[in-house]
Amino acid sequence: MVQVSVTVDDGHLSTIGIVADALRDRGMDVADVLAELGIITGSVPQVRQSALMEVDGVISVDADQTIQLPPPDSPVQ
Amino acid sequence: MIANSSTTGPLGTEVGSEGQLGLAQTTGRYVVVFEEDTSPTDILGATAGSSNVADSRDFESQAMDMDATGGADATVFAELGIAVVSVDPEQLGSMQTSEAARGTILSVSPELIHHVLDAPLDYLRGYRDGVTDLTGRLGFDDEPPAARGAGASAAPSFADTDQATWGIQATRVSTTTKTGEDIKVAVLDTGLDSTHPDFVGRNITAKSFIPGASPQDGHGHGTHVIGTSCGPKAPSGTRRYGVAYKADIFVGKVLSDEGSGSDAGILAAINWAVANECPIISMSLGADVARPHPPYNQAGRRALAAGTLIIAAAGNNANRPGNKGFVGAPANSPDIMAVGALDPQLRIARFSARSLPGRGGQVDIAGPGVNVYSSWPMPTRYHTISGTSMATPHVAGIAALWAEATGRRGLALWATMVKESQRLGMPSVDVGSGLALAGG
Repeated sequence: MVQVSVTVDDGHLSTIGIVADALRDRGMDVADVLAELGIITGSVPQVRQSALMEVDGVISVDADQTIQLPPPDSPVQ
Repeated sequence: MIANSSTTGPLGTEVGSEGQLGLAQTTGRYVVVFEEDTSPTDILGATAGSSNVADSRDFESQAMDMDATGGADATVFAELGIAVVSVDPEQLGSMQTSEAARGTILSVSPELIHHVLDAPLDYLRGYRDGVTDLTGRLGFDDEPPAARGAGASAAPSFADTDQATWGIQATRVSTTTKTGEDIKVAVLDTGLDSTHPDFVGRNITAKSFIPGASPQDGHGHGTHVIGTSCGPKAPSGTRRYGVAYKADIFVGKVLSDEGSGSDAGILAAINWAVANECPIISMSLGADVARPHPPYNQAGRRALAAGTLIIAAAGNNANRPGNKGFVGAPANSPDIMAVGALDPQLRIARFSARSLPGRGGQVDIAGPGVNVYSSWPMPTRYHTISGTSMATPHVAGIAALWAEATGRRGLALWATMVKESQRLGMPSVDVGSGLALAGG
């Protein structure tokens, strides 16, 4: 499973719930619908990631990036 | 009584003569600035005896015909509340002190003559380019330019005092009257040590976006940056280290106690801050990824449009002078403000990342980021560290002060921060518009 963020276009912001349903139909496990930002987060099997792009209103499907801070005793953080 | 205006030559010798180096050339007329909601034409008629007044409103689209108005005693620019007046100096005095003019005139200045700016002589340009090339090859382009000629000031140098950290002084936070009161500042990081005495009595809303974790800070980074952005004005027993000391603090734990996090939690927290109408989000975090990340592009754009300014660390991946680094995600998104780090001499920090060439990848502004003293989880209580992570909350706290002072949000607040920052003798690819400053 790949953690992804799905970005929705401006025209579908008001119907983002419908977009989320369509993503579920294509195999996405939807975790969060971020209505203020127009982004839907969750996970999807690697092989189904490209299928999510076919959903109406989807601009972009991006795998999560991770952040790692230096340890607490590091002089530069 | 009323002197005829002339565009060449002064009225009297006291206003300065043409061609004298260092003296402004003047026409002999005066530019009068009036208070808002006054009637310049009426005031001039009553006080300066100006009977022949050309008013811009008499012209179609206020396109004043300068040939037609050449003989007027005064020309009034209605939209600006400004008039150019032909009066002799004695009349000028009585005009300003007369009863009819009382409280209506903001300023009176000699009308200046302007010229096309000359291009520098070719040989000076060649010399300048040669020096720039040489210093660049020697790796000295991170140093402030050497003082040349009159007007160059001494190199700045700040230091912590018993009253305040160097960063609080350099940004003029120590002398501002603003507090950040009623401004919500969201800080997305490792959380906050809720047992820390310096945050007692503050309006704090805390939420964890790390599954299984509370908002409590088990790393230190979060407590440090929250201290810088929102710490108290007079912490007991130590110097001031915080900017917006009356701000409402929104703590979003998006990084675990081990210091790691991912987009899902960070985006959820940004959404939470926008939904709660926080004017400012401070993110001292990033990935060393040069390509702007599409979810942050959208999040930044929509947050900004909704009135939330996201301020993020440019990155610590430089090792200057050789390696200038690059601005990583999310700071490299176009609608997210990227912050570089300065040292106490207001030079770029060794580790502070330089702008990327593409859209969005630029460093927008800079803040104090070397040897920054701030709060730390108990019992350690305070700690001094460096990073663009430390510069970012300085800028975020100052943004809160400007939000309070001006009522501005989003892009207007961004513009205010840029306008009011201190220009430095450093490349803008490193410091953007310069050092963020608090207002009066």
